[in-house]
Amino acid sequence: MLCLDTISDRPGHFDKLFRTCHAIAQLPEDCLDITIDFHDCKFLGHTGVAFLGGLAHLIQARGGQVNFNWDSLCPNIRMNLAQNGFLHHFGYGSSPWDGNSIPYRCDLQHDATALGDYLRYKWLGKGWVNISSGLQAAIAGRVSEIYLNAFDHSQSEIGVFSCGQHYPSLGMLHLTVIDFGIGLPTSVRSLPQNASFTTEEALFWAFQSGNTTKQNDISRGLGLNLLQEFVTKNHGNLMVFSSNGYVAIDDNGVRYENKDINFSGTLVNIALRCDEQYYCLASEVPPIEEPLF
Amino acid sequence: MSYKIYEITGEYATDADSGQQVYDLIHAALLAGNSVELDFSGVNVFASAFFNFAIGQLLKDLSPDKLNELLKVVELSSNGRSILKRVIDNAKHYYSDAQYQKAVDTVMEEYAASF
Repeated sequence: MLCLDTISDRPGHFDKLFRTCHAIAQLPEDCLDITIDFHDCKFLGHTGVAFLGGLAHLIQARGGQVNFNWDSLCPNIRMNLAQNGFLHHFGYGSSPWDGNSIPYRCDLQHDATALGDYLRYKWLGKGWVNISSGLQAAIAGRVSEIYLNAFDHSQSEIGVFSCGQHYPSLGMLHLTVIDFGIGLPTSVRSLPQNASFTTEEALFWAFQSGNTTKQNDISRGLGLNLLQEFVTKNHGNLMVFSSNGYVAIDDNGVRYENKDINFSGTLVNIALRCDEQYYCLASEVPPIEEPLF
Repeated sequence: MSYKIYEITGEYATDADSGQQVYDLIHAALLAGNSVELDFSGVNVFASAFFNFAIGQLLKDLSPDKLNELLKVVELSSNGRSILKRVIDNAKHYYSDAQYQKAVDTVMEEYAASF
């Protein structure tokens, strides 16, 4: 029995999820018949939804079985999970509907159109973000870097899980993307020249422009740097948890920290302002008459 | 020769596979000294992976001067242009540092062979 606690969007609450994942990973395969109970859960934020979905798939991929005690859900959480498609995904309840919730997603492979439509119309395009269509497309492009990075580097065999949340009183829009792969630091250390990196060093390296673990004679390694730059310039914030490392990017700068909890995957949460006045993209654009190369 | 990118990517020019498709269409023509136009009408969302594969890797065997002369990019949004510029700058650095690249490739080959 797994008794899920309240999960909001604080790093401390994320730690509870990582501990749960770690505890389940230690269980032998013949002890993976797990019932998830919600009696102690009074709020389940979008990160909790995405994580829980991924955790259920992880257990199933190890040959286990997950039983949700849906009757233990409090009414507000039940309504949210019905609307965002989580219940339907796990075979309970009717199809999700287009309300104020941002849909839960489980993607086994990168589908540019499906993910692009999700970001533009299900995450940004619900009328709660006061931005032009051009800025909406620009944000969708930068945020799609999170998905591309997850599919490119994580080696997650069960896919990538995501969910979002709008916080009207804060004027913020969140999205969490989680994979249960090898983690950014492990991927970075797979290069011989990076083998001795600490977790902090590996995460720092991953966010530098032009650094990539893919060595196939094609220049790459801009995705995380573009994302970092975008969040910094536009007063958003980005949290990345991977292995025992944590990166926080916000108006106070960029911080790399070691944590005492290990999550052998990567969780990215991005939070953006819901008003165009915070955004500054025009200054980045090179003059059109300037040669491209 | 002009290519409509929308016919390959739809609205979303974000992934490496569609970028590689564009590269495969234009690389030989550019190497042969022919002019190529990429028309981005209708393409709204861009990510670096697409441009790395479609355009960045052209710098492997074509010089910046040659590409300025032969490759024309039209109807690309300001956001797309800013990402493309970053990709090109990164690729110029990557492919111009041939010695560094060769060293990395050698280490990678040795590493792969050790398994």
